[in-house]
Amino acid sequence: MSNTNQPFSAKPPVVPNPESSHLTPDHEQHDSSQADWLDELEQKSKAKQQTFMNHIADRLQRPRIQEAPQHPFRGAPEIWQDFNWNEAEKIEKFTKHFTEVGGNVLRMQTLEEAGAFIAEQSRLLNAQYIVRQQLPETEALTLEARLPHVQISAWNSHTEEAWKARAAEADIGIVLADGAAAYTGTVMVTSSASQGRSVSLLPTVCIVLLPIERLQTRLGELLIPWDSKGRENLPAGIHFISGPSRSSDIENELTIGVHGPGIVYTLLIG
Amino acid sequence: MKVSLFITCLSDAIYPKVGEAMVRLLAAHGIQLDFPPVQTCCGQPSYNSGYWDETRTAARTILKAFQSSDFVVSPSGSCTYMIHHYPELFKDEPEYLALAHELESKTYEFTQFLVKVLGITDIGAAFPYKVTYHPSCHGSRLLGIKDEPIALLNHVQGLELVPLPFAEDCCGFGGTFAVKMADISGAMVTEKVDHIKETEAQVLVGLDMACLMNIAGNLRHRGEQVRVMHLAELLYEGVNIR
Amino acid sequence: MNPASSTHGTVKERADIALNDDFLRNAVRFTTDRLRSGKKVASTEHGNWEEWRERGRQIRLHTIAHLDYYLNLFVENARSNGVHVHFADNAVEATDIVMTIARQKEAQSVIKSKSMVSEEVHINQALELSGIEAIESDLGEYIIQLAGEGPSHIVIPAIHKNRYQIAELLSEDAGETLEPDTTILAGYVRRKLRQKFLEADIGMTGCNFAIAETGSMVLFENEGNARMVTTVPKTQITLMGMERIVPSWADLEVMATLLPRSATGQRLTMYMSGITGPKRTVDADGPEEMHIIIVDNGRSQQLGDPEFQELLNCIRCGACLNVCPVYRQIGGHSYGGTYSGPIGAVLTPALNKNVAEWDDIAGASSLCGACYEACPVKIPLHDMLVSLRRRKVERGHGDKLEALGMKGFATLMANSKRFALAMRLGKIAQKPFVHNSGIHLKLGPLKGWNTYRVAPTLASHSFRDQWKELSAETAAQPKTIDPAVRQRMEQVLADRQHSKSTSRTGGESHE
Repeated sequence: MSNTNQPFSAKPPVVPNPESSHLTPDHEQHDSSQADWLDELEQKSKAKQQTFMNHIADRLQRPRIQEAPQHPFRGAPEIWQDFNWNEAEKIEKFTKHFTEVGGNVLRMQTLEEAGAFIAEQSRLLNAQYIVRQQLPETEALTLEARLPHVQISAWNSHTEEAWKARAAEADIGIVLADGAAAYTGTVMVTSSASQGRSVSLLPTVCIVLLPIERLQTRLGELLIPWDSKGRENLPAGIHFISGPSRSSDIENELTIGVHGPGIVYTLLIG
Repeated sequence: MKVSLFITCLSDAIYPKVGEAMVRLLAAHGIQLDFPPVQTCCGQPSYNSGYWDETRTAARTILKAFQSSDFVVSPSGSCTYMIHHYPELFKDEPEYLALAHELESKTYEFTQFLVKVLGITDIGAAFPYKVTYHPSCHGSRLLGIKDEPIALLNHVQGLELVPLPFAEDCCGFGGTFAVKMADISGAMVTEKVDHIKETEAQVLVGLDMACLMNIAGNLRHRGEQVRVMHLAELLYEGVNIR
Repeated sequence: MNPASSTHGTVKERADIALNDDFLRNAVRFTTDRLRSGKKVASTEHGNWEEWRERGRQIRLHTIAHLDYYLNLFVENARSNGVHVHFADNAVEATDIVMTIARQKEAQSVIKSKSMVSEEVHINQALELSGIEAIESDLGEYIIQLAGEGPSHIVIPAIHKNRYQIAELLSEDAGETLEPDTTILAGYVRRKLRQKFLEADIGMTGCNFAIAETGSMVLFENEGNARMVTTVPKTQITLMGMERIVPSWADLEVMATLLPRSATGQRLTMYMSGITGPKRTVDADGPEEMHIIIVDNGRSQQLGDPEFQELLNCIRCGACLNVCPVYRQIGGHSYGGTYSGPIGAVLTPALNKNVAEWDDIAGASSLCGACYEACPVKIPLHDMLVSLRRRKVERGHGDKLEALGMKGFATLMANSKRFALAMRLGKIAQKPFVHNSGIHLKLGPLKGWNTYRVAPTLASHSFRDQWKELSAETAAQPKTIDPAVRQRMEQVLADRQHSKSTSRTGGESHE
């Protein structure tokens, strides 16, 4: 809500003023009229919802269905569930698939080794600014100690920071994968208070830490658990990343790093 | 067992040699084809353009013609496939509907009949030429005719089969489409012939005279010498050569 | 404004322009060849493709057949997640809702990721008219937005533009000369749009799939702009076709397998994002406010229509475009609407109530069935095209001359004796026009044909005229049938009898 103190005609600055984040009386009034407006829309929407759904049932020439119907073909074909690679195969295939599309994959024994590698890359890239998720694993990289002259921020460690802008300025973003699938060469990262979606999106380079035990075979192994976690327990952002940003929109010629990071590393830890 | 010939209006009027080749080839294997003269046209041209009453008029002659046949054989995948639309066309006419279901189950395109029913892949032909094959759309996609013609061609002595680039792309006939959307159709058949020229084949072989008529027309228009033949004609000529 | 992209005129007129544009035709060919072979490789590598297609089809059929349940479930769950859900019967309502939100937010700019629905409802026009900047962030969409044109392909919208044209457009946008080099041009767009992402008041997206059981929406992309649009701006508006539902994340696996492989030959797009509600209170990025507008705009029309309900299965992969021999020659703009290729040829007339205006594009097809064969969810587009043609005739919008011709055809074909006579007469009547065993006359219906071909002549003796002699000749020296062959034939007959008594049978057909 930090921009509402700006005059209507002014364009908001790229880096929002951190001081404007606290509430003012104007702000409260706007808040309550905003709440009223949303309530009004919701009433309209709920009324419309019935008409909408009834219309569907009418077109299908039957009454509304209120109970979950039998879904005999739910998910992938049964034989697919039995498809599993062993660890060596998973590592091999993940590496092959991720690198085929322009990503990089490296094995690291420990987080310390990963820290050393990242510090080296940072020096090679002449990185000025690094943002990492605020997690014990990224903490264990000890980058602050390794790169004293580089500005390193842990996501959301100070609530008044303009974190999106911070990430946009960063050269390197470091995230921890919650899971990965070798079959498609995909890593999964989720959002939370200490994990910003921006960290794997806005910097030029993205480094993903993937503990080996989290590497699965099939994409479904990453997706299906979300069906049973409970709706309210899902994070706002669940992101499946399978390589660097790319486009072939200009004469079918491939270009890497269009909006998202053009350089992506997955470090297999363990 | 009564094996009847579903000649197709195109073969009847313009390419009778195709029918003749079928008759003679099957006769050589001890199968006398029967020809019920009541048949006229399967109704595809009007069906595809959305004139279904007119389609039914033509289709009734086909249904009447083959009532007592055990097998119906046709030199066209698209005309054979058209029969599969008959149950829908006659859903409100119980007598014809019954005939339609019946006909659907006993009609075969020529290579389907030879290979799948009779079990013949080597017809004993010799045809020492460079040949390329165009798989017609309805036959290959909708009737599933993929291996049968290849099996037959592979057993022809001396025949050099060269693959046709973009073989599965439509030749551009599409019935009235060729007239109504003449320039688009023209562009499609032009490209098809470009690919045929790339193969440097002496003969183009196919399973459907509609496609072959279309392609042959463009070949002639461009002064090309490639010979265009229905597979039945090629096999028959190949048997006589011996 | 590219005249070929205008919705004026007939498909024939627009196609004629395209047919004379060599660059366009080469570009379309190059693009579709690349995508088509990519799909072949990817689907073969995955294996059991037919089984997966059928699975995808069943999931979509099931969802659509129970759409009131699943869509409602999605809405309830999305609301519980904190999403504001809205319903729009048509383009006007969708636009109104967007404008209401934009006004409330005092928005000055809206940055968009790819959304075919947003183009369907012409949201950019509405925003621009209200003085709100609407910025496309997908590279191809950004380019055509600058050119003032619509997309010419569902997945790669700017294939009709060459690098020089693109360099010109972007140079004008930049206010400096940019080299016609892909890296330089893309680099410019990245820098320019970075700023726009961070400044925009509203992020607008489409929706690839919406998961009913958790109220989540899923976006597939390669550039990262959809992630930007759903992460950076404070307010998110998502436009979603009402049919984009899948029941569960388990079902998403099937779609995630079929869609990227069919569209571009990828195992998975670089980014697949599952978004469940706006940002949590403790999150430091993500939208504070999230709206999903569920759009009908003619989709519910297809429900309950046995010939068109399956149209709603579509997952917008574009595979049908890449195999269509007609699209290959005429490109996307010839189709006139938001959607092009085979899916467009059916979708545009089906979604539009004003059928007469749109149904000539159903005529731009040779009914080859390649689209059906390529479709990962097995939509019988080739049958739907015939249904559209039939409805046009039934509604009385058929071409009068053609209708007359068809009546003549029926009269001729009603009676075999009449047909036989016509062949004999025709053989005589054609004589003046036969030259070198062919007919070159370019008159009437022959004009179109003979511009590109030499027409054949009617045979000197039709097959049926030769039959008596032919059958006598072959019957004179009958050959004995090979016993093995006879046995096979008898077996086929026996099998046929058996299945007749058990169930309805069909010869080999595409089911």
